[in-house]
Amino acid sequence: MSLNTQLIRSLRAPARPVWEEPPSKAGLTAKGGFLLLACLGVLGPLWIVIVTSLSPKPVIDRVGGLVVIPQGITFVNYTELLSGGQVSRAIMVSIGVTLFGTLFSMAVSVLAAYGLSRPGSLGHRFFLMTMMATMFFGAGLIPTYLLVQSLGLTDTYLSLVLPSAVSVFNILVLRAFFMGISPELTESARIDGASDLRILLTIIMPLSRAVLAVISLFYAVGYWSAWFNASIYLTDQEMMPLQNVLIQLVQKNTEAPTGLQQAVRTGQLSSLGLQMAVMVLALIPVAVASPFVQRHFKKGMLTGAVKG
Amino acid sequence: MSLTAGSRAGGTRPPAAVEEPTAAVTTAARKTRAPRGARKAGKVPWRIRLRRDRALILMIFPVILLLLLFNYVPLLGNVVAFQDYDPYSSSNGIAAIFHSPWVGVEQFSRMFEDPLFWDATQNTLVLFVLQLVLFFPVPIVLALVINSVVRPRVRAVAQAIMYLPHFFSWVLVITVFQQILGGAGILAQTLEAHGWSGFDLMTDADLFKCLVTAQAVWKDAGWGIIVFLAALSAVSTDLYEAAAMDGAGRWRRMWHVTLPALRPVIALLLVLRVGDALSVGFEQYLLQRNAVGAGAAEVLDTYVWNMGIQNGDFSYAAAVGLAKGLIAVGLVLGANKFAHLLGEQGVYKK
Amino acid sequence: MTPKSASTGPSRRSFLASTAVATAAVAGGMPLLAACGGSDDGSREGATSGKAADKLLPAYVPSKVADPDIPSKNGSAAGYTSKVELAALTASVPNRLGTGAPVRIMSPFWGTPPKAGCAYYQGVDEAAGTKITWQNQNGNTYGEKLGAVLASSSIPDMVVLPSWENVGKTAHAVTAKFMDLGPYLAGDKVKKYPNLAAIPSDAWRMGIFGGALRGIPIPAPATTFIVPYYRKDIFDKKGYSLPKSADEFLSWAKDVTSAKAKVYACGDLAWISGNIFGAMPGWNLDPDGKVRFGIERPEYLEALEWTRKLYDAGVVHPDDKASAGDPVQRFTAGQILVWTSDMSAWYARAAEQAQANPEFEIDAMDLFGADGGNPSMYASNPANIWSLIRKGASKETVENALAAANFAAAPYGTKERMLVDYGVEGTHFTVRDGVPAKTDQGNSEVINAWAMLAGPAPYVAHPDLPDIARKQVEWQQRMGAFMKKTSTYGLNIVEPTRYANIHTPFDQLQRDYVRGHKKLADVQAAISTWKSSGGEKLRDWYKELFDKNGSGN
Repeated sequence: MSLNTQLIRSLRAPARPVWEEPPSKAGLTAKGGFLLLACLGVLGPLWIVIVTSLSPKPVIDRVGGLVVIPQGITFVNYTELLSGGQVSRAIMVSIGVTLFGTLFSMAVSVLAAYGLSRPGSLGHRFFLMTMMATMFFGAGLIPTYLLVQSLGLTDTYLSLVLPSAVSVFNILVLRAFFMGISPELTESARIDGASDLRILLTIIMPLSRAVLAVISLFYAVGYWSAWFNASIYLTDQEMMPLQNVLIQLVQKNTEAPTGLQQAVRTGQLSSLGLQMAVMVLALIPVAVASPFVQRHFKKGMLTGAVKG
Repeated sequence: MSLTAGSRAGGTRPPAAVEEPTAAVTTAARKTRAPRGARKAGKVPWRIRLRRDRALILMIFPVILLLLLFNYVPLLGNVVAFQDYDPYSSSNGIAAIFHSPWVGVEQFSRMFEDPLFWDATQNTLVLFVLQLVLFFPVPIVLALVINSVVRPRVRAVAQAIMYLPHFFSWVLVITVFQQILGGAGILAQTLEAHGWSGFDLMTDADLFKCLVTAQAVWKDAGWGIIVFLAALSAVSTDLYEAAAMDGAGRWRRMWHVTLPALRPVIALLLVLRVGDALSVGFEQYLLQRNAVGAGAAEVLDTYVWNMGIQNGDFSYAAAVGLAKGLIAVGLVLGANKFAHLLGEQGVYKK
Repeated sequence: MTPKSASTGPSRRSFLASTAVATAAVAGGMPLLAACGGSDDGSREGATSGKAADKLLPAYVPSKVADPDIPSKNGSAAGYTSKVELAALTASVPNRLGTGAPVRIMSPFWGTPPKAGCAYYQGVDEAAGTKITWQNQNGNTYGEKLGAVLASSSIPDMVVLPSWENVGKTAHAVTAKFMDLGPYLAGDKVKKYPNLAAIPSDAWRMGIFGGALRGIPIPAPATTFIVPYYRKDIFDKKGYSLPKSADEFLSWAKDVTSAKAKVYACGDLAWISGNIFGAMPGWNLDPDGKVRFGIERPEYLEALEWTRKLYDAGVVHPDDKASAGDPVQRFTAGQILVWTSDMSAWYARAAEQAQANPEFEIDAMDLFGADGGNPSMYASNPANIWSLIRKGASKETVENALAAANFAAAPYGTKERMLVDYGVEGTHFTVRDGVPAKTDQGNSEVINAWAMLAGPAPYVAHPDLPDIARKQVEWQQRMGAFMKKTSTYGLNIVEPTRYANIHTPFDQLQRDYVRGHKKLADVQAAISTWKSSGGEKLRDWYKELFDKNGSGN
């Protein structure tokens, strides 16, 4: 292999290391085909969703369901969703709750995960069991509500964060990654007299960027898409987060279960179209967040660090 | 200090073991070390351990406090499983516990007598096994494929697309499936045009369990790759390079470098998944129960919902919830044992 | 205006926060067990009826505001088909009854609630003299919130309770946590609140919980039946004639169904099959002196078998079989030609399609007996939604809450009704040619908060589509002619809670049977299990109840 061809290849595929053999054509085709199929499996339905959200009501009515082939375009579903300031206020609420909640959850979870990462420490097993048991037994709605109420948390944003701040699953994943970091890395710091907190902040966390990103994402997605706590603990409509407002908006056009009067929006909106628009709006945070998260998934990020 | 390091050595593994011998040595070392009980039997007095580990305990404290407050305190409410609880019999729901009659295990015997409870338990377990076999490996395979893609743009786009369905609600996923596979769906219409009539996958009780597994794969497999990608990113490139220098091909590298690196994560997620198995896809089943009937689609969670919450029978809901929790704990203990047999850590150590 | 006639038919509950599920729940509901829904409301075990009940009731002083164009007959709603003249509206509450004391009200809400202090809430508050803080809760998850709030020690001053949320032990909460309104309303005392006095006594009787009058009702007509709608435009175009018997319907359905063209005869018809086969719902005292429950009667199984035939023949849309998607969309798209829903859908669909799809024409089919004779209609409960006032509320709070309810119960043709239903003129609606139309602000603020507190005697009025109002009342009157009252009609009965769950398996079993997922033998087995696990005991209990109270029919 001449230097020249190697150079050209590295230009075309910049990340391929020198030692890796060039891929076979069949392998590439198989891999590409597989990925393409997987992506099409997602994009096909997504297409239907987007087209339906942009279709005028008569078209949706005529088709009697989701629209596959676009016949006319209207943005009325989106303008309806975004008009009135209600949604924009709810977006601010959701962003605030998500940011604060994620920070809070990450802080307590990272601490706990590190605290549990040394088997044999005092109470290790007991604490682990205490945490895990909560994964299997749930308390009923009423006791939880009464507790939150007696703590004075109802009608506060804290009620959207504190009761669901801890995910034991996430702590266990963090812990597993922390435990996977080779002990030699922390040993020298420990001998130098560094405290556990210092070791966590200066050695463990920088080495765990990928998993920290993942768990932050898990928490953030959890806070962003939560609606049940708000529907139970909040009474003030002004405080409602985005998901609750979207759910209510979608229901605007449905047949009220009581048969009581509904605002019938003549000929403009279809509940299906609105629903689909809500789905599309719900995807936006993913589109925004994924580049930030993916940055942390580069192959061999820890190169060098673990080598010692 | 040396004690700390020593006690840690057994439980921790380097993220990846390149050569088989190393791994074998580690495992062997673990097997030959003194049984845990003996070690624990008080070589180190707890006072010293407390001084040594107090920083760790302080770090765990906030989470334990939150869990005690929001999980354990309300959990006491589960005593109503042994009552005929009337939350309105006193000034508030807590005081009402002291005013409601105790009925012993009546709620549990009611549960055992209800054939629907057994249907639900059986469906839950069958679905759990199906999902374990058919769903669980998919994200791993996807993660491996994506990880092997070198071009950053292709990688990023493919990843981003695969996350998307996770953010669709079940209502939508089922609507889309109905529109494609239902009796009046796109596929049925196409078949009808060619003289095949009566195609309707969505109301077929026999195929239901495969169908819901397929739906779960479509919705959440892409999201599931995230953890594995994170694990893969922790594998040092040096290990691959060393393996390649030793003449290991693509497949051998995957076998000897990649998979061992993923193994602890896979074992962990497997155990956690087992614990979660009984709570999977509540909304998914509730939405499709009418299509295929309760005999095929009732799972424990929908059962609790219907019998307990829907009918306002809090005591019965608590009883079924407790039973479900016990089954889940049993499954997790089993899975953890299995992980140990494979030489993995699982969630906690023996 | 508000078709009060359409206040809910069978007890139902949409459980998840989604359109598809909400409508699926409507489509999948069961009329055959409707009386179960009706019989689990009330309070401590038993019921109060006859003279004992009459003593608790407010005096009845009918409203003389506006004579309906079509008076009520056979238990129908009254119909108003004339134009709205704002200047001619009368005042039913000449003096503001509220004193401005704050009242907190929790109520279910479908849609996005407007902001506190919006022009609509301000306008109605000002007119009624009240100062209401609304706690509007998502109607689809209302039950959970209600259970939690009732178990806590801070209950809002006024709480709206729909009968379909009155499950389990909620009836106990009503007696334990809400006050006896007798001291404020019984007998002539109600005359302070003329619109509450104009609520018919049958509706008030449903508000008796635990031996005391606690609920202010929204009256519903006895002819609150499930309506079989059909696409009149398509029937006319294709020359179909309306089927007149169960067999005729099946053979018509087979003729018109074409999977290739994606046209199916109907959606789920379980809701009307009971009327066709004369399956009497709930507990009834038969002429032979025996007490029987709906599922024990042969007609029950006949109705189920016929419904199953429809499914087996493939004339029901597959999405209805799968309980997926939105049946309304299928009906408006012409994919199903016959569709059942409640009375409110008539106007809602007609108004919604008027511009988008001018050809669309919806009409209601007259129900028929299975053999071509008369159908069997059973009177539905005269009220299904109540508002309740918290025990321990101060006199002033109670009087302000009652003032609000009185305002909300204003009859058609009054300024108050107009304000509650349409908001403030110029801000929330404008009137052109005698037809009021909501503005954008009206559409987003005037939804359903005030209308949940109480209602006038049942009426139907659609100033924009008076023809629909006329057809609705006429259909109710035609069907009302075949109406019988069940033995439990108008009684707020509380069954012993230990039997409360013996009926629950049937709801799902019926659905599974008609869709072919269960066998007839399974249903029969469930019936005998039902008998042995409490059905017989419950029969004795009802026998005693009927002996003591007399039956409703």
